[in-house]
Amino acid sequence: METIETRFGEVTYDPDNLLHFPAGLIGFPNLHDFIVMPNKKQGPLFWIQSVDDLDLAFVLTDPTNFFLDYKVIPEESEKTLLQINREDECYALSVVTVPTDKKITLNLAAPILFSPKSNRAIQVILENSEYQAKTPLPG
Amino acid sequence: MLVLTRKAGEGIVIGDNITIKILEIKGNTIRVGIDAPRDNKIYRQEVYEQISKENREAAQWQLEDLDELTPSTSKEK
Repeated sequence: METIETRFGEVTYDPDNLLHFPAGLIGFPNLHDFIVMPNKKQGPLFWIQSVDDLDLAFVLTDPTNFFLDYKVIPEESEKTLLQINREDECYALSVVTVPTDKKITLNLAAPILFSPKSNRAIQVILENSEYQAKTPLPG
Repeated sequence: MLVLTRKAGEGIVIGDNITIKILEIKGNTIRVGIDAPRDNKIYRQEVYEQISKENREAAQWQLEDLDELTPSTSKEK
């Protein structure tokens, strides 16, 4: 186990259990490894803490909690990055923006594809879709 | 930044496996063709920058805000 001092306090984690982003996040190419923080309260939101930059953490959610028909099919090159085969499961997660007015938005235009099998994730941009980077929760 | 002048039909080779070709020039728009390995993601710059900006904004949250939010959003599950 290792311990780091993040902007939210001390976090102890298992280095073998990190979520690995081989290409980083978009605009953050050097952030490769994250701790998935357990959700203390019930609810669809959780967060990931970077171990490469202790000041950076992102709130994530499974967007199908809010948008039932949201689905992202990974391309072959993306499956290669995730180190998964055709039959392996892959889930789309959304980055959540929590502004000070707490009117949260989901980034449906740039989902994070996540493989539980390889513990790898990549962020992709759905360029030719109707999805918005700041999608409010359905009213 | 390296600056090159090209005409329609001419191209640029970057490294061993990226080729950019100027296909057509019409008024103030240029059509560009790009050949690159599929694991090189190619995005329009403004789209890439918008997502970068959104990610930077998403990193600015506070733990207290999330704690306050969680009970209300959980109802929607």
